[in-house]
Amino acid sequence: MPSWQEFQPFIVTGLALGGVYALSGVGLVVLYQATGVVYLAFGAVGATGALIAWSLISVSLPGWLAWLVCIAFSGALTLGYGMVFGPLLARRTPLVKATATLGLLLILYGAMDLLWTTSGGEVRSLTLPTDAHKFSIAGVQITYTQLIGLVIGVVITLATAAFLRSTKLGTAMRAMANDREITATLGVPVRRVEAAAWLGCGVLAGIAGLLLADMVALDATTLTFLVISSLAAALIARLRSVTLTFAAALLVGLVQNLMVPIPSLSNYNNMAPFVLAVLALLALSRRSVIALSREEV
Amino acid sequence: MLDVAGRTASAPQPGSLLRRPSPGALIRTVVIVVLVLFTLLALPQLLSLYYVDYMTQVAVYAMVALGLGVLVGRVGLMSLGQIAVLSVGAWSAARLLFGTSQPFPLVLVEAGLITMVLGTVLLLPALRLRGLYLALITLMLASAVYVVLLTLNFPNGGHGFTGYNGNQIHIPPIRRPSIATSDPAYFRYAVVVAVLMFALVAIHIRTRPGRAWAAIRQSEPAALAAGINTTLYKLWAVALASFVTGVAGGVLAGAVHYLYSDDFPAYTSITILAVVLMGGAYSLWGAIVAALLMQLLPALLNNWGVSNDWLTILFGIGVVFTLTTAPRGIAEQFPKDMARLGGLLVRLVRRGKPGPAGTPEPVSAPAPAAASEAEAP
Amino acid sequence: MIEVENLTVRFGGVTSLNRMSVSFESGTCGLIGPNGAGKTTFFNVLSGFVRPAGGSIRAFGDDLLSIVHYRRARWGLRRTFQTEQAIEELSVYDNVALVHEHAGKSGGSRRADVLDAISFVGLDADPAAKVGGLGVGQRRMVEVARAVVGHPKLVLLDEPAAGLPDAETSGLADVIRQIPARTGALTILVDHDMSLVSACCDTTAVLDFGELIASGPTAQVLRDERVMRAYLGTAEVG
Repeated sequence: MPSWQEFQPFIVTGLALGGVYALSGVGLVVLYQATGVVYLAFGAVGATGALIAWSLISVSLPGWLAWLVCIAFSGALTLGYGMVFGPLLARRTPLVKATATLGLLLILYGAMDLLWTTSGGEVRSLTLPTDAHKFSIAGVQITYTQLIGLVIGVVITLATAAFLRSTKLGTAMRAMANDREITATLGVPVRRVEAAAWLGCGVLAGIAGLLLADMVALDATTLTFLVISSLAAALIARLRSVTLTFAAALLVGLVQNLMVPIPSLSNYNNMAPFVLAVLALLALSRRSVIALSREEV
Repeated sequence: MLDVAGRTASAPQPGSLLRRPSPGALIRTVVIVVLVLFTLLALPQLLSLYYVDYMTQVAVYAMVALGLGVLVGRVGLMSLGQIAVLSVGAWSAARLLFGTSQPFPLVLVEAGLITMVLGTVLLLPALRLRGLYLALITLMLASAVYVVLLTLNFPNGGHGFTGYNGNQIHIPPIRRPSIATSDPAYFRYAVVVAVLMFALVAIHIRTRPGRAWAAIRQSEPAALAAGINTTLYKLWAVALASFVTGVAGGVLAGAVHYLYSDDFPAYTSITILAVVLMGGAYSLWGAIVAALLMQLLPALLNNWGVSNDWLTILFGIGVVFTLTTAPRGIAEQFPKDMARLGGLLVRLVRRGKPGPAGTPEPVSAPAPAAASEAEAP
Repeated sequence: MIEVENLTVRFGGVTSLNRMSVSFESGTCGLIGPNGAGKTTFFNVLSGFVRPAGGSIRAFGDDLLSIVHYRRARWGLRRTFQTEQAIEELSVYDNVALVHEHAGKSGGSRRADVLDAISFVGLDADPAAKVGGLGVGQRRMVEVARAVVGHPKLVLLDEPAAGLPDAETSGLADVIRQIPARTGALTILVDHDMSLVSACCDTTAVLDFGELIASGPTAQVLRDERVMRAYLGTAEVG
């Protein structure tokens, strides 16, 4: 059993990764609440944005501009998808809506391999300047990137929770999660609220893409499917509570990373998010009520 | 319930308890027998070895698509992790083929059974979850299985439970049945296995489970009210799909001789869902269309120097397109579109030709409709 | 004879049924009440889709709540739903035969029982025709046929007349009236069409806010002041 010292760096990476999972999870939950869509293409969008940023940086564009392009791209693409396919699929079940985003995932996945191929063994990396700066707490080294990962997670969670509770737009989103039809008849500009949710989610995808590209790897496959871990956190929170998503995301990040220094568990650490999600979902369904509505998830 | 895979008039219908002979059934059976015979006897002669290899993959993935079709098209359950199921079947078969000297068919059945047990055990607690959550759980489970397989690795002739020896220099190939060691012969073997799996599924559809699945897909509460044990029948569908996919994994093991975790990446589960939706999840022909899309098109593209990525993009577009406009999938929509196009062309041609004075404009509908009826049995 | 005692159902913070007690004696019984009164919730408890927080239901001497939901059809429970749920991809015959099959009835008498049920409800469609191709009225009758096949004990009809034109509603009334005599089943009819309820039901119970507020001979109940007050502001009663 490793010592406390050996665990410490993994607590840091766990919290940092957890922060980014939280950031992604919150994006997924808010979009689901407002539109009924589980945005499975979240990771792919962020990955594409990160690769675009990489390309811009490699032609000597200043870093901050490249990141802005990444975020803007992710936001615009997500908004575009939402505005076209949101209305087209509005009447379908959440399952159909989620499956459609898999189509977007495939399109982006193919495009990424086409434009940024790895068949020649290329390994790309994205480094944020905050990687270089470190500080220590109780003998543990933390890079500023890791700190940002956690802090952004906290900030986004708090901001989103406050937004949902206090602003008109946020309240409208919560109302739509309950019953879209009634909300529309109350005079809420449903289309505009949805657009805001899509755009916000896309922006978060871009930010998450950059952070994960730095913290994990700038690899299309890795980044695209990391969404599953963020989704695990969102599922533990039943796709409902933003604060629960944050807590779940930190838990997932920590468990995943704390398994690494333990020799017998190390190989299985990437399973942690999935196992946790499955356990949470099964616990959630213990008291099943058979709903008669076709719109039930 | 999943309303994605629409029903086609030409797909196998749940067998009616009212026994009445269907005139189209005889023609359909004859067409199928002819096609199967052609595939078994003539096709390997006509194709180069390059294509025979790919067609064997088509046979394998037709079975995977078949299993997924049962889940998605017949019962309304969505699985986002069928490739993980395939990998379990392939792993089990490889382990048995290396570790025992059992005959190949027996190994296939055992691989199917192992996969079936694992699939039902893992999914049983999840079956009370509704559509979206069930789909996401399959995604989670599949991802977990992938991590386990990455650690376990695929058997390569070593000893111990995993059958994997990391230090092995000479890795023996996975054996094939003694009657089918050459590639064309193994292709035929694979086709025979596939035909058996399709028959197995068809029998299910035409008897009691098929009717129960139809009821569950229409409305689970109404099915319960009719006395149907929905959990049992859903589990039955999962068991059937897992068994068929497990057998497919066994055939895959023999086809490729060497298995690696890289052979079963996550996005393949999504790709297979995409092609099943495009081909039509309800119709059995849809499974074959799906496999052709997934395995044969890349072969053609490779020949023409076009990257497979375009195919991935196409499948992505196909998913979105199918879900928004043509829920029945290409297997039904394409003949209909072609029929409409054909009708349009015929009308254009007829309008161009001046007929004798007083001849009314002929009605051109029957011919294209008959063509679409005969095309997809 | 169905005896319901202190049935309580809660969904989150809402109490759908509040210690409801009612008895249904025999024949065709109506169950009415304003929207949200708990009528469909009550049916869902009978079907086994909703687990009550408290209370009991004795049906023909059996403790209905202790039977697993999918086994209640075998016991003798049948039901129609507010939005019709006939299976589109199966034929009329198979829709009805499915219930017969899974309610544990013997295969020997199946053909006779099924065709009998189809003709009893007056459905003039070809039994081999796919339900998907039928009109709304015919689909409803398929559902009613499913509800009467195979000697049921308790038949629940949830707004069977919804969406039907008047001519078909009166045909439906004739069929419903005959169900107890033909099958020996106790029938409970929920509907908002008071003329249908008056025409078919000898006795009627009235729910409001999850509680029983009146019960007795239909004509008497429909004139009851408490019932009229419960429906205040909605369509006239009787």
